[in-house]
This record gives sequence, structure tokens and C-alpha cells, in this order.
Amino acid sequence: MEQATTERASTRTREKHFVALLRDLPPGSRKIVSIQGRSIGVFNIDGQFYALKNSCPHQGAPLCAGRIKGTRVATKPFEYVYARENEIIKCPWHGWEFEISTGRSIFNPHRVRVQTYDVTVEAQEEPDPSIEMYPVTVEEGVVMVHV
Amino acid sequence: MPPRAKEAIIDCDIHQRFKSHKELYPYLSKAWQKDIDEFGLRLTTTGSGGFLNGGTGGFREDSYPADGTMAGSDLPLMREQLLDYYDIEYGILTGQDCSPVSTLPNADYANAIASAYNDWMIEHWIEPEPRLKGLALIALQNPNQAAKELERVLDHPGIVGALTQAGARFPYGQRFYDPIYEVLNDRGMPFVVHTGGEGSGWNGNPTPVGYPSYYIEARQSRAMSYQAHITSLIFEGAFDRFPNIQWVFIEGGYIWLPTFLWRLDSDWKGLRDQTPWVTRPPSEYVFERVRFTTQPMEQGEGPKSLLQIFEWGRAEKTLMFATDYPHWDFDSPEQALPRMPEELRRRIMSENAREVFKLPVRTTEALAAD
Repeated sequence: MEQATTERASTRTREKHFVALLRDLPPGSRKIVSIQGRSIGVFNIDGQFYALKNSCPHQGAPLCAGRIKGTRVATKPFEYVYARENEIIKCPWHGWEFEISTGRSIFNPHRVRVQTYDVTVEAQEEPDPSIEMYPVTVEEGVVMVHV
Repeated sequence: MPPRAKEAIIDCDIHQRFKSHKELYPYLSKAWQKDIDEFGLRLTTTGSGGFLNGGTGGFREDSYPADGTMAGSDLPLMREQLLDYYDIEYGILTGQDCSPVSTLPNADYANAIASAYNDWMIEHWIEPEPRLKGLALIALQNPNQAAKELERVLDHPGIVGALTQAGARFPYGQRFYDPIYEVLNDRGMPFVVHTGGEGSGWNGNPTPVGYPSYYIEARQSRAMSYQAHITSLIFEGAFDRFPNIQWVFIEGGYIWLPTFLWRLDSDWKGLRDQTPWVTRPPSEYVFERVRFTTQPMEQGEGPKSLLQIFEWGRAEKTLMFATDYPHWDFDSPEQALPRMPEELRRRIMSENAREVFKLPVRTTEALAAD
């Protein structure tokens, strides 16, 4: 778990993998892709892209199928403050919450976290044969995840 | 690709629901249907109705059927997510919507609902799916009526015991319940208690100090309820009076058991003569006659700590696996339990439950015949 930061820093040694056309992953949407046997969820949160391993570190539930939400942030007793809308994903089984941008859990950010991956949006250089039915312009872009 | 378990798994806690309460109508008289049309079922599904729950409305988020109906109400989805996915040999149905029958003021209505639920469960779940076995729900308001209901349904081969909630007016060892125990004792069938109902209707408070404020507090009262029922069974002599019954306590935890029994055994040495019919250390009765389920399994301070508790609690006899599907605190058969010796795991995952519920091994031949 602790090596996640190091791994993120060395993404240049990783391979880029196609996730979706930019237009097919609008804000508020997500796509779960399988890359080299790993299930990965890629999210467009208000125009920012994030990717998380689709496996909760607790019991292996499909984390990336969970709800994207805010949370009741830590407060003094008897104050209820709901904030951080769309920054948190909640595991669909046991409700463990993770910060989407870092993969860190809310209840123990330093020790419990889920693997994150870098996501980039790039101009499409060559048409993808699988989508040749649809004319694609360069400026539309493609969403790539670095695994 | 779904994983294929190589081991036998008996899941002791599966919650099946109806899509509409009108699924009960074929099994209810017009008189009761009219009241329900006017006033609803008058049952709260969470026991103490004002508390929150967890997950998505209390359920695993992915367990809601695509048609928007209730989680747990769709047999094909239950097969896909649980029975087929984990290769479950048997699942024990514990219901949900009708479970609080014992909190209703009208004993006759309560008994009618319990009876309708049992018929609905048999027709909609047990008969279409041979892996599923059911527990006959009973209403405790009038134990004589409950005993008659048990006599009516216990002969069905898919019914493997009686079911009630943890919340109660009196602890379960008291003689009030004897008519129910007489039927079960004659047939050698278990009395199964599922957590819930504490503080509902005329049941006692959820904790000995009254009502807590939050759901996470209410959950911790489960162990208190179960300890109260178990001490009652011991000191009211229930284990000797009904030698053929095993009592099963679902979803109320397990890790408290050893220290609870140490306390009882210590106290019994000096207080024995107040209940002289208790002739053996309390722990011995419990190890022989009481069973518990795993879910929700604690993580403890690592696997060694749990294995130590399993040893102290005689888990090779007393502990039975459960997922609690489709509830939010579902335990995965593959990941919920710590690594342990193969024989101990076999006892917990299947064999303890096989003995309590008298479930034959589903052989390849039997599976082919299904």
C-alpha cells in the first residue's frame, strides 16, 4: 500500500491503454475497463479524470461500481456537515469511503488505500480500427489510462 | 469469470424479500387483506424503526434488480450473485419483510402473517430452488398458536427449523415458550434467532440502559440481547428440558462468546445452588447446544487473534458461515474469514450447519437430478 506514491511517480515506465473516446466519457460518467487482467474504473468527475483499481482492499468488492458522493466531514459532536460532493466513492458492499483523486480511504488515509492510475486525454493520432464506422476528429481526443 | 469454490459452503443467512406485500395475499384471508389494504402490513423492516442502516438502503448497492424492485426479491439475481457465483451448496432463508411479526399487538394477525410468509417462502423460493432451505417464522405472542403453525409447516422437506427475532418480551429460556419448544424437541429441529426487533413494539429496550441514538450503537446491542437469551436458556434449564433442540444465534457476533462464558463459569461455582438444576459449567451447555454465525466477521488484530478466539469458543462445533446476502455488510465466502487449518474451515463453512439443519451432502448424482 505504501508504495503507491512511488508507483505513481514512475508512470513514464508504464504503458498507455485506450479507455474511451473523450465524447463517450462525459462529466459524471465512468467506465470500467479490463487491462492485463486488472479491472480498473476510470471516472470523469466534473471534467477531471481519475482511475482506481476496481477492487476494495477490504473484501475485494467491485469498488468502482459504487456511488460517487460527498460525505459528512469530521466535525465537533452534534454538527452534521455534508461536503466534498463528488470527491468520494463509497464501496457498494460495506460502505468504505475513498477519495477518488488519491485512492486514500477516509477512515484511515495513510494505511488503507486503493491503487490509483494516471489518466491522460490525448489527441487521437490514428483512427482506431474498431471504431472506423464513426468519423473521429483529432480535437475530440481519447482518454488513456497508464497501467 | 465467477470463482468456483472447491469447498462445500452452507450459507446460514440469506434474506429473501417480496416485490410487493401482495405476494402474501394468496395465503391470507380476505379479512386480513382488507386491513392491509387500509393500513399496510404495520411491520418495520429494521426492527427498531427509527434508526438508519448501512449501504444503499441497507443493502449491497449491486443487489437491486434491474427492474428497480427490492434487493433480495429476485431469485435469478440471487442465483447469479450468490448461489452460482460462490457455488453455495445450501442457503438458509431468513426473510426480512415479515420478520418483526412478534412485535405486532394482535396475536391472531401476527400468526396469520407468519403463516402466510411461510407458505410464500415455500412456493416462491424453496420449491423453485433446491439449494434454498427455509426457517418457519413464528409469532411469539401466543406460543400455542406458534406451535400449531410449526406443526403445520415443519413436515415440508424444505423447512429446517423455526425462526424468530432477537428482540423479545421475555428471555427465551422462560416457560412461556414451552409449547414451541415441545414441537421442536419432538422433531429434533433448531430454534433460530436472527438479530432484530430489539426495542420494537412491546419488546424490551435495545439496550439495558435504554435507547441509543445511532445505528452503530444499536448494532452493538445484539451481543447484549444474545447474552440475555443464552443465560436464560442455561438457568431456566432449557437445555435439559428440551434435549433435542439446538439454538442458533445469527448475526449477533461471536468474538464475545469465550469471555462471556468464562464469566458465567466463574460465577456458577459460587451461585450454583440458586439454580441447582444447572449441574455442569454453563460453557458446556453452550458448546454442545448453541450455534453462532460468522457474519459480520471482525478483523481483529490480525488472523492470529481471531484463531485464538475460535479455539476458545470451540468454533469447530459452534460457528457456522453466513453471508447475510443481500445486506450491505455481506461477508464474502472467499475473503471474510482468516486463514485457518483445513478441518476447522470445513467445519465452519459447511459441516456444523449440515449437522444442525440435517442437510444431506449434495452429491454429483443429486445435482444431476435437480
